Amino acid sequence: MDYSRYGEDGVRIIFGNTIDLETNNVIRKFYLFLKSLQRKDIIDIIPSFRSCLIHFNSRRTSYDDLVSFLKDKEGEIASFQVPETRSHEIPVQYGGEYGPDMEFVCSYSGLNEEEVVEIHASTVYAVFAVGFIPGFPYMGTLDKRIYAPRLETPRLKVPEGSVGLAQLQTGIYSFESPAGWRIIGKTHIQLFDPTKEPYSLLRMGDMVRFIPV
Amino acid sequence: MIEVVSPAWFSIVVDGGRYGYADVGVPGSAALDQFAYNLLNYLVGNETGAPVLEVMGNDFCVRLNAEMTCAITGAQVTAYLDDRPITPWVSFTAHKGSTLRVKEVLEGFRYYVGFSGLMEVDRIIRSFSTNLECRFGGFRGRPLIKGDRIALKDPKVIGERFVPEEVVLSLDPPHVLRIIEGPESHFFTPGTINRLFEKKEHSWYIVSSKSNRIGIRLEGKPLIFKKGVDKSIISEGILPGTVQVPGDGLPILMLYERTIGGYARLGMVAKVDHDRLAHLKPKDRVLFQLIGIDEAERLWRQKVEMFYRTLPQ
Repeated sequence: MDYSRYGEDGVRIIFGNTIDLETNNVIRKFYLFLKSLQRKDIIDIIPSFRSCLIHFNSRRTSYDDLVSFLKDKEGEIASFQVPETRSHEIPVQYGGEYGPDMEFVCSYSGLNEEEVVEIHASTVYAVFAVGFIPGFPYMGTLDKRIYAPRLETPRLKVPEGSVGLAQLQTGIYSFESPAGWRIIGKTHIQLFDPTKEPYSLLRMGDMVRFIPV
Repeated sequence: MIEVVSPAWFSIVVDGGRYGYADVGVPGSAALDQFAYNLLNYLVGNETGAPVLEVMGNDFCVRLNAEMTCAITGAQVTAYLDDRPITPWVSFTAHKGSTLRVKEVLEGFRYYVGFSGLMEVDRIIRSFSTNLECRFGGFRGRPLIKGDRIALKDPKVIGERFVPEEVVLSLDPPHVLRIIEGPESHFFTPGTINRLFEKKEHSWYIVSSKSNRIGIRLEGKPLIFKKGVDKSIISEGILPGTVQVPGDGLPILMLYERTIGGYARLGMVAKVDHDRLAHLKPKDRVLFQLIGIDEAERLWRQKVEMFYRTLPQ
């Protein structure tokens, strides 16, 4: 674990250099432990693939105090019991008007649409991080056969529920938003409900399988 | 009740920000000029965290259907209560049925309008702020339009309060933004970094008209990545003020709408200059100045002290 500053009121903790589930699980444990303390001096915790960013309240603590506290707790964190991961099935309509980039993914991979769908829907994905916008799951790991680069120029808008690919990740646009990922389908499932806790359907560590409909 | 006669170019409900759920991607969506926002609530005698209006553009107009104290902060504007000129940063009392009009923005970009009493708007995930992309919070999750009526709970009249002129900063360009080094500053060539912080003509950037509440895009000489570095990073958490540089080399100053980013982070705008970001308007000139973290913290402490000195208790 490598601690560094991020601006005046951020602590950035790096756990590894690659996208892998093992590293991500260590981060998940760290994040859930920290969250369980409900510390008033922590404003937000943003766990992701290989790091965790802590936004702290500089009126209540300092970088040095927070880091020395976290270092003291490293042993306790290692033995912290995390809840079981949850599993979800997400129905997806692939291709056609719902998947404007399906054609690209087919030609890039040299596969036909049926094969792309079959490959995309046969992996059980892990949610590595949730963010950029509320409820958007960054999921992995995509089968290398359907690897696709990001769009050179992002689209200004894709509809809510759009299912996309980028490199070895897949994700679902929880709201209409600008998008640089290749869109291959759409789900009608609501991923984020701002009126009901815990708001986000998917959380870090959850497992997701897509069901073609 | 407050009735929107003209929403100017763009007006939304904001507050101190939506915090605590960044782990599921919920951004702060805070008032961009927090100094102006906080002092506005002081001027109208509202509690910290009360909702206010954040407005851009000329010709903002509301009708006030109750007697109440109001104030305007943020950008320098010319404003009138009926026919009487109003001084920004000083509270004033409006009679029932009067009309508050902001005619023109003279300096800066966003101004804040507040009323004594609690605007009855949507409080979603612990905040009144409008999340425009997700359409929640504030006034039905959207910008105000002509004819909107916002109920005001317990409108009241309080004694005049003011903010001393000397604490109100000049908002004229060029904007000199102080920057703390970011995690990927080493992705760029030493030459490009030197040029950026030299404060010469070739160091300027211009605010792009493609800027929005998510980020301020800058136009100018592209920053040059070192040979062989990956231009994107494994996506990870970011905080407001992060200076992201996509593959095209043109910096984007991230505001309060994103929790995770995937571009190289050249630096972070020092907190002391965050409020100024609210006032960067298209075509403004921007310069960067590199400072250390200790200096950034010292400047921030100084600003906080000034804020508390402004309040008379």
